[in-house]
Amino acid sequence: MISKTFVKETKELLREGRVRIAVVIVLLLTGVAVWISARHYQNVNEQYEVAKTTERAVWDNQGEKNPHSAAHYGTYAFKPKYPLSLVDQGVDKFAGTSIFLEAHNRNEAQFSAAADQTALARFGDLTPDFILLFIIPLLIILLGYNSFTKEREMGTLTLLKSQGISNWKWLLGKWMALFLPVLVITTVLFLVAGLLLGNLSDFGVFSWSSLLMMYLVYLGYYIIFINIVLLISSKMKKSGISLVVSLCIWIIACLAAPKAASNIAENKHPYPTRQEFAANVLKDKKQGLDGHNPWSKETKLLEEEVLREYGVDSLHQLPFNFDGYRMQKSEEHEAEVYVKHYNYLKDQYAQQAKVYRGLAAISPYLPTRFLSMAIANTDYATHWDFADAAEEYRVATQKFLNDNFAVNSEYGNWSYQADADFWKGLPVFEYDPPELKTTLESNASNLMVMGGWLLGSFGLLLFTTKNF
Amino acid sequence: MIITNNLTKKYGEQIALDHLNLNVKEGEIYCLLGANGAGKTTTINLLLGFITPTSGSAFINQLDVQENPKATKRFLAYIPENLMLYPNLTAVENLDYFSGIAGKTLSRSDLKIVLEEAGLQSEAFENRISTFSKGMRQKVGIAIALAKEAKVLLLDEPTSGLDPKASNEFGVVLQKLREKGVATLMATHDLFRAKEVATQIGIMKDGQLKQQFAGHDITLPELEKAYLSTMDYKELVS
Repeated sequence: MISKTFVKETKELLREGRVRIAVVIVLLLTGVAVWISARHYQNVNEQYEVAKTTERAVWDNQGEKNPHSAAHYGTYAFKPKYPLSLVDQGVDKFAGTSIFLEAHNRNEAQFSAAADQTALARFGDLTPDFILLFIIPLLIILLGYNSFTKEREMGTLTLLKSQGISNWKWLLGKWMALFLPVLVITTVLFLVAGLLLGNLSDFGVFSWSSLLMMYLVYLGYYIIFINIVLLISSKMKKSGISLVVSLCIWIIACLAAPKAASNIAENKHPYPTRQEFAANVLKDKKQGLDGHNPWSKETKLLEEEVLREYGVDSLHQLPFNFDGYRMQKSEEHEAEVYVKHYNYLKDQYAQQAKVYRGLAAISPYLPTRFLSMAIANTDYATHWDFADAAEEYRVATQKFLNDNFAVNSEYGNWSYQADADFWKGLPVFEYDPPELKTTLESNASNLMVMGGWLLGSFGLLLFTTKNF
Repeated sequence: MIITNNLTKKYGEQIALDHLNLNVKEGEIYCLLGANGAGKTTTINLLLGFITPTSGSAFINQLDVQENPKATKRFLAYIPENLMLYPNLTAVENLDYFSGIAGKTLSRSDLKIVLEEAGLQSEAFENRISTFSKGMRQKVGIAIALAKEAKVLLLDEPTSGLDPKASNEFGVVLQKLREKGVATLMATHDLFRAKEVATQIGIMKDGQLKQQFAGHDITLPELEKAYLSTMDYKELVS
């Protein structure tokens, strides 16, 4: 009975013009979206390679220079575009692509793609994640809204019931018929994406297992939608009403809930404004050592401590340049200040994420979106991870420079210049995004919410169609 | 094969069916005549298990319909007044699906044989149902019953809206089924067809079975007179 219903439903779907048109449109949109994303991915990566190489060449060839001048001259940490961003661009567009690394300051990522766009960018981009998250659920509604109501409207339900139909087998046949086109479209999209990525420069990060995981997450999302659409169709008497109710659910789940979640999270756990953040950092910085101020109370205390430690009377008698040492101590204090304030931001982000997870109970879109972005390494957590890695590199760079200054020059000798070859000794900044296992572990709650949605929607569907 | 014992259905104070006692044996065609609201469709719905009786009981092949809703459906086939099939599927595909639902798997050639037996022209086998007339759809309905090898056939005004030729063809198929031992209960307004095919005829009014005749014991004019009298259309009786 299951296979008979599946075959019958599939034949009916294939023979309906609206379905053929809808599937062709979705496939076309998908093709265009993947093509656009692949081009964008390739362009950004080429730019990344050029910028990274050029910037490193500039750093390596800065000639003889005072290390602290070089520290202020700075360098850049560039964020690569990860392979699965071809499928889900996440927050990449808004998060910035490079961080300027300099002495004393932790800078935020800049040059976001969104900043380069006009106001028309508000309309959004045609990307695979848009198709996956918004359009395919719409297609599911279009294919399935009348799955049960048509039986009532056509009058075939009476005949089916008189034949002694088994409700759950009938339901499963219909479910499979609705799942098949969705499975085909999603599989085609992910296969094409995988084949494209296999042939593009990907920094060795692309893995089929991540792509497969993302594929499974989306299939889970669609199964939830299929269950909801069939549930509605089984309870409504008219196809028109079933369509309207399904569309309302789509609007709430995909459009309203994410925006509401964002507003609620932001209101409950707001980030400080940029000005507040900068003022708080400055305030804390001032309460500690300032490397550029040799007359401050903190500097005098440090001097006394160092002189005592080395058993000398004058900074000139130290086996290193105290200016360089002071700069490094100042960097360490400033780094601590940044850690404190960025941790506060991270805490706020974690609290906001909790709100999102709480609201995921009203929309399967939310856990799907978070999982998709996380697997694609385009979520905010990965961006934080990149920014932390860049900060770690910045701190290490400052130590590399200050140590050279302290060891190779004398106290008061600000005219000291490091060798032209010295700069090449600084390791190149490399960032590896979290591995899939780590990503899944940190998104365990989203996986559980999705699991809950899957089980709940299946259970409800089976329960309500028991007495069809 | 079809038995009802004091079968009664009430909707609030309104009695739709009042202590109906029927016994349709193997190879019999029982025609229930009556005006709209007489209780014919209610009887069929009770036998199908679509509604529950207020009191009394109904049996299909000795199984209580209420106690064995699934099991009783294995033995029966039902053709409503307007048999609706899947318009985008062909006759063969519809038959394949509905017989499959009933647990019968037939080969394509067997499906065609059944359709032919039901009286459908072979040219129509692979045509979509959306192109079919009501008479052709009814034949597919008969084919579904044949494929299911149903022992009981419940028909709710199956000849309503059929042209005389189609109605006649339908009657011929019913006779064939009768010869195979199928017990048929047919609710109808069609006195002529009832007289043609029935082994027993019952006239219902206000949920009650008012009169019963053996099909061969009564002529069409007598049946018409009995019907009109039962319906209180006395001015028409003469």
